[in-house]
Amino acid sequence: MLNLRNLASIIIAVVGLTLSASSSFAQQPDVGDQPGLLADDSVELDPEYRKQVVYYRTSEAPGTIIIATAERHLYLVQGNGRALRYGIGVGREGFQWQGLLNISRKAEWPDWTPPPEMIARQPYLPRFMAGGPGNPLGARAMYLGSTVYRIHGTNRPDTIGTAVSSGCFRLVNADVTDLYERVPVGTKVIVRQKPEL
Amino acid sequence: MRTFRSGLLIGLAAAVVVAAIAITYERYDTRTLSRTTRRGEVLCGVNKGLPGFSIPDDKGNWTGFDVDFCRAIAAAIFDNPKKAKFVPLEASERFKELQNRKVDILSRNSTWSMARETNYDLYFPAVAYYDGEGFMVPRDRKIDTALELNGSKVCVQSETTTQLNLADYFRANNMKYQEVKFGKLDEVVKAYDSGQCDTLTADVSQLYALRLNMAKPGDQVILPDVISKEPLAPVVRQRDDDWMMIVKWTLYAMINAEELGVTSKNIDEALKSRKPDVMRLVGTDGAYGEELGLSKDWAARIIRHVGNYGEVYERNVGSGSKLGIPRGLNQLWSAGGIQYAPPIR
Repeated sequence: MLNLRNLASIIIAVVGLTLSASSSFAQQPDVGDQPGLLADDSVELDPEYRKQVVYYRTSEAPGTIIIATAERHLYLVQGNGRALRYGIGVGREGFQWQGLLNISRKAEWPDWTPPPEMIARQPYLPRFMAGGPGNPLGARAMYLGSTVYRIHGTNRPDTIGTAVSSGCFRLVNADVTDLYERVPVGTKVIVRQKPEL
Repeated sequence: MRTFRSGLLIGLAAAVVVAAIAITYERYDTRTLSRTTRRGEVLCGVNKGLPGFSIPDDKGNWTGFDVDFCRAIAAAIFDNPKKAKFVPLEASERFKELQNRKVDILSRNSTWSMARETNYDLYFPAVAYYDGEGFMVPRDRKIDTALELNGSKVCVQSETTTQLNLADYFRANNMKYQEVKFGKLDEVVKAYDSGQCDTLTADVSQLYALRLNMAKPGDQVILPDVISKEPLAPVVRQRDDDWMMIVKWTLYAMINAEELGVTSKNIDEALKSRKPDVMRLVGTDGAYGEELGLSKDWAARIIRHVGNYGEVYERNVGSGSKLGIPRGLNQLWSAGGIQYAPPIR
């Protein structure tokens, strides 16, 4: 039964990829979404985007996640004036919203169903893709409230530190797995945007 | 003949009097802003060579955080950052030379303390960079906090406040340690790099600079803990409030600019902004710069030519530099640090 489901997913993915290949002649793929590409784990992040403990003063409780999109950093508050800092890549969706959310669901090697808005923008994307190393959502996903925003891994570690067209808040697979182990469903996530002029 | 000679004498006497008045005026005019504008440049006392803060290249071009701050003042006054002239000063002579009016301002990694203000008749307008003592440890020890250093052998320079702060910190936290001390900093670093100690202590900015020259910089980490207060600030003479205000608000304009998202790259866009905070900063609303004795667009000039606080930080000591010092305490108060500027309004 499970095998049949996986098989179906693979077939759908292959059809999706074929469709995307045909339409991508007309449109250049956006950087950051390369379904099927296997993550290159040897990519070395800039020191600024490597996971590290930093000084961080906040009134938020330990265990809270604070995402600073302009800085391309995600902080996991540790208390006692420090936080665990990860480098992130931010996408178009990640730029539209500021405020407070909670992690509503967690998933390992999540499947990917690009939302209709994304398909409209990038018609070459597959309609569905089963979870795995070639999936742009990477190794783990943490869904935020009932929104389309999520914190996830990536198959493009070279996009950390950049603002790419799609994807919400992406971390390299090792980092997103580390974060996943540290935060439960219900964790407070604060998203902070760059001020507007 | 007699009338000619007396005319000449009167003329000479008048010239002498005028010259004397001019010299006296130049020497005793205590208003730094008018001296600076008359001269056409700001004289900045700086460190002779401190990577990230102030250092000249082989062509005599100065770069650094302290250097850029002085350029920001020149930009505010003259709309030209090149009107800052750098005068290298030793630590021992810096306060005396400021008092002697050899320079208009010190922008030279000087720690603000009460005694320095009261004893030398000086004024530190605002904290430009929060430094303090920290610890370097080998990465493979997997330590996250200085509180895990109990029982360590600590490399430290003797006869310094660093050594005293170290003693206070370990005592206050009920931890034991063993000092491995040397008179010269080079010896301290060499001892640590050759594995004689578990940790090395010095000011955090210094630890990042020292790490660059170690055998394997990537194998060393600097802990986020800061155990002492070394607030580095520019310095001016007392009883010259107009000048002190210019120095203070130049720094605050740079910090406010970062908080409002105004950068050297989007300053033209910011000049068209309808957001009240941004308008007051860039001078499209109000005349705050004129109250300082400058122009309405004083802050816009600073941001255009030098950048906001974050830009200057990252370029010189942060992620855009070799040092790569995380913002830490110097991050904005709203983003995890303690840099906080009063509003322009």
